[in-house]
This record gives sequence, C-alpha cells and structure tokens, in this order.
Amino acid sequence: MVQREMEIAENRPFSNAKLGVIILLGAETMLFAGLIGAFLVYRMGNATWPPLSHADIQLPRLVTGINTGYLIISGITMYLSLRMIQIDLPKLFSNVLLILTGTLGLVFLIIQGSEWVQLIGKGLTLQSGVYGATFYVLIGCHAVHVFGAVIWLTIVIGMSLAGRFTSDNHTAVETCTIYWIYVVALWPILYFLVYFA
Amino acid sequence: MIRKIVLSLLIAALIIASIPLSLEACPACKNLDDPIARGFNWSVLFMMAMPFAVFGVIGGSVFYTYRRAYKE
Repeated sequence: MVQREMEIAENRPFSNAKLGVIILLGAETMLFAGLIGAFLVYRMGNATWPPLSHADIQLPRLVTGINTGYLIISGITMYLSLRMIQIDLPKLFSNVLLILTGTLGLVFLIIQGSEWVQLIGKGLTLQSGVYGATFYVLIGCHAVHVFGAVIWLTIVIGMSLAGRFTSDNHTAVETCTIYWIYVVALWPILYFLVYFA
Repeated sequence: MIRKIVLSLLIAALIIASIPLSLEACPACKNLDDPIARGFNWSVLFMMAMPFAVFGVIGGSVFYTYRRAYKE
C-alpha cells in the first residue's frame, strides 16, 4: 500500500515541492503588487518625479542597467545548469554553472549595496520623503529576495558538489531554479518602474 | 389601451425625473481628475488584476503540466 502510494507520488507530473514553490511565488507576487500599487499612487500623485525636494538626486541608471544584465545572465546560467542535470551531462558543467550563478547573484547584491551607500551619502534616505521610502522599500524588498535566493542556491551547490542530483532526482535544483528565475524576471519590471518612471 | 400606455410613460418619466444625477450622489466623484485620485484608481485596478493573474498562472501551469504528462 505504502509502496503503491510512493509510486503514485513519483509518477506525479507536478511534484508537491514544485507546487509549494509556485504558491509561495503567488504570495510574493501579491506582496510586490501591493508595493508597486503604493508606488503608482505616489508616482501619479506627483506631477514631477523625483519630487522637487529631491530634484538634485539622480539614480544610477547606467550602473544598474549593467547590473540588470548580470542578473539576467545568472538566470540563464541557472536554467542551463538545470537542463544539464536533467539530460545527465557530466556534473562538472552543472556545478560550474551553479557556482557562476551564485557569484553573479552576489555581484548584483554588492553593486546594489554600493549604490545605496552613495545615495544615502547624497541625502536620499528612507525617512527623507516619499521618493526615498518607495525607492528603498521596493528595491530593498527585491534585494532581500535575491539574498534569500543566494542562500538557497548555496545549499543547492553544496548538495550538487556532494553528488546528490541525478536526471531522475533533482527537485531541489528545479525548485531553486523556479525561485531564481522569478527573482530575475521581477527585477527588470522594478528597474524600469523605479529608475525610469 | 392607449390610456394605459400613456399612464405608464408618465410614471416612468416621473421616476426618471426624480432620480438624482449620479455625480451628485457620489461624494468622491468631484475629485476624479485629481492626480492622486488617478493614481489610486490605477493602483486599485492593478491590484485587482493581480489575484486573477496569480491564480491563472498557477492553474494554467498545473493544467498544462498534467495535460503534457498524460499525452506522453
């Protein structure tokens, strides 16, 4: 009986773990929808953006654009590493790609952090008004998600180096890839909304 | 018969004339052109669309995955 139930669970096309991650991402989408909604209220409520009180502050569009490129590349490398595990290529390739993905995620966070230090130095803080509050909450919330994804990926890299994944058993990589790609896909939306709106 | 029709039309005209204009009945409508009100409108519309998008994507992906698996 138990064996039969295990067979059914193994043959299920949509694993519980995968469904759980997708539902989590649904909740995350609602969170970001709320934050974007608040941003839209303030953005459309102000005729000039940035408001006149912050007219001298220029967000670093170019550097963030390059940073966006790093994050998109990390999404591609993450997907490729999953495909390599799925088609049973030598583990070296997938391990290298996973490590490269994590490194690109870290580079993204470091560049974001250095930008924040510069902006705080120019006087844009969380308490300095609506402009600073919406900027740091939206971008910071995404950065926290990237940080969480990097921690998750570090665990997956450890499991991969220990040889725990095969073409039949790789749910951990698959769920991590879904989360990573979600975080990567969300960023260009936030980037254009906050830096160019 | 004609008397009935005329009477019905008169009652209908009376009801229509007694209904106040919708704009006057709506306390928030006077600020519709206000930028902040427009921002709220777009924000509400955006957030109302999100649950449909989320459930649509989750339901769609589960449906698509199962259908593909059964075909194979």
